[in-house]
Amino acid sequence: MRRTLAACSTVLVAALSAACATSGQTQTRQADQNAPMTLSFWSTGGDDETATFQKAADLYHQKHPNVTVKVQTLSWDDAYAKLLAAATSRTGPDILSGGMTWTIQFGARGAMVDLREHGIEALKGQAQPAQWESAVSPDGSVYGVPLDMSTLALYYRTDLLKEAGIAAPPRTWQELVDDIGRLKAAGVKKPYSQDWGNLDWIGYFNYLYQAGGTFYTPDCKPSLNTPQAERALTYWVDLYREHGVPTATVEGSDALDTGTAMVVAGNWIALGIDANKPKLKGKWALAPLPAGPAGPTTFIGGRAIGVTSFSKYARTGADFVKFMYSDEAIAAVSGEARKRNISYIPPRPDKIVGGSTFTPDQARVFAEAIGTGKAAPGCPGWDESASDVAKQLQSAILGKSDVRTALAEAAKVMERNAG
Amino acid sequence: MAGPAPLGSRLRRYGTSYAMLLPFLALFAAFLLWPLANSLYLSFTRFDGVNPAVLTGLDNFTRLAGDARFRHALGNTALYVAGSVVLGTLLSLGLALAFNGTSWPHRVMRTLFFLPSVTSSIALMLMWKWVLFPSEVGLANTVVSWFGGAAVPWLATPALTIPILVLMSVWGGMGYGMVLYVAGLGSIPEEFYEAARIDGASAWQRFRHITLPLLRPVTTYVVVTGLIGAFQVFEAVYIIFRGTNNIGGVLDSALMIVPYLYDQGFTHFKLGYASAIAWVLFLIIFVLSLVNLRVGRAMKEL
Repeated sequence: MRRTLAACSTVLVAALSAACATSGQTQTRQADQNAPMTLSFWSTGGDDETATFQKAADLYHQKHPNVTVKVQTLSWDDAYAKLLAAATSRTGPDILSGGMTWTIQFGARGAMVDLREHGIEALKGQAQPAQWESAVSPDGSVYGVPLDMSTLALYYRTDLLKEAGIAAPPRTWQELVDDIGRLKAAGVKKPYSQDWGNLDWIGYFNYLYQAGGTFYTPDCKPSLNTPQAERALTYWVDLYREHGVPTATVEGSDALDTGTAMVVAGNWIALGIDANKPKLKGKWALAPLPAGPAGPTTFIGGRAIGVTSFSKYARTGADFVKFMYSDEAIAAVSGEARKRNISYIPPRPDKIVGGSTFTPDQARVFAEAIGTGKAAPGCPGWDESASDVAKQLQSAILGKSDVRTALAEAAKVMERNAG
Repeated sequence: MAGPAPLGSRLRRYGTSYAMLLPFLALFAAFLLWPLANSLYLSFTRFDGVNPAVLTGLDNFTRLAGDARFRHALGNTALYVAGSVVLGTLLSLGLALAFNGTSWPHRVMRTLFFLPSVTSSIALMLMWKWVLFPSEVGLANTVVSWFGGAAVPWLATPALTIPILVLMSVWGGMGYGMVLYVAGLGSIPEEFYEAARIDGASAWQRFRHITLPLLRPVTTYVVVTGLIGAFQVFEAVYIIFRGTNNIGGVLDSALMIVPYLYDQGFTHFKLGYASAIAWVLFLIIFVLSLVNLRVGRAMKEL
């Protein structure tokens, strides 16, 4: 008993002292921005991507010999937790990149610099408007700007479509359904599947906007209770339930390789297909997603880049962020990305065809998708709601609730989290 | 009881021992006690990891009581724990009874069943992910197709989620339990069985009235450690079932307490709330373990 008591009181005493030791944050003193300095840039992604951004950093060093930018890799799996640890201890990178909403979330908690103080809005005209909008916080602060873009396309097996007598990939929802039927009739067991966004809100996003709906109204009121949203979800659910689209997610190039005729997948798989699946060489192509009643709107994601509030070199960091939009930085990054055969779509729509790593044909498809693209909702409470919204969509797809109920439930959650 | 010896003489006598304990104690305090105390404190605060924590009293705990996702995670975890501990313990015992000899075949079988326990759990999970690969090229679906079945979307069928998690856990953990049981079986004196045989006890009676009771301390240990491990299941969910934006997989069917805690703390900036979940989990495990030890009446033997 005495021992238990001692253990309990030890923990209690320690807890109390932990309470006393938790310190408040202080403003980071800025260092002399002309002295030699080394900035660290934590880049979320792979080592190959780090190397491409390092090329831009080297170029920056050539122009500003006193500034060295060191790019380090954070893998997608643990980047968020590492950045959180850095923000908690207020030590770590001067510059960071990560998911589009991350800079907003870290910024809202005081961990990022509002780049408007450093004239970032000069870049706004060069960026894709919807993607730029999604990096801006609800209160107008700009804690991060797009670093690159990602989007979706319809990857299809030219040989299988030809066998089924289909001359061109589907351009509309109706054509998609018709083609699925014709492929099935021609003996193709897996006519269509979804890689990125399968059973998830990102997958629904495309159908929703293509039907003319949105997640939120422009003033951030949840708007899933609309006929457009219902029409989109009905169509999507029918793809699974009536047309046999698999609920299980198979990576796009694996799906093509194992006989799927059409796959909706992210741009990043395009360059690996020929290298990893040599059998598919010359048997596949890309097209924009089939358009819905309101048009072909496609989801745009990507990474945001920003400067941390605990950096001693905020001004230089912001200058480096601006530099990433320059012609030469984009050329340096895409040159290295081409060498490494990895996907890169620059944050400037005018540079997609010349400055991305894809063949001109592929780049044109992505440019078309991005031209009409929309990005994730930046409304307050969306991050909290996203997984519950996905759950409601799943229950409609798996037949556990009807479309209208699922959307009403999703809207309810969004309403609650909007505060 | 004699009074404690004066401090001076105790120091003289044990000083070196204490000094040798110091490095460990320092590490123990810095990396276990201190974080533990911190999390206890944080569980009574609202803390986003960046701004200073704000004391909110029992707010986190009252919110937990009304959190539907937490209740869902609790339910899933309870099912998973029940399944994996019961099946795991039974199979461990079965394996131990089957392979407790000293002959080579027995040793080889024991080694085989023990192998998963010495393999990195991440590697095992990645392997399972391959086995359950959704297209017909996955191993599980290939086997299904031999029997003429259609490809099953293993990871996108909510009803299969917990059975799959239980299967993975039992497969990976039963070898460890088996080794403990084999040691337990070895410590039962052969004379008991001889005496019972002379008295005409059947094999079942010998098992029921000699083996099982004498294995009770081992059973208690296997069940308690199994319970603790099962309640803390994380890798399996995180590696195999996690979706792009949803930690719990399709319809949250794989949402367990620790993944939920991780999700709240490290992707939603709710470190205070996550700490509260951790302490509730601690209380659950603590109470269940106590009950178990009492039921097993194994306090003395352990």
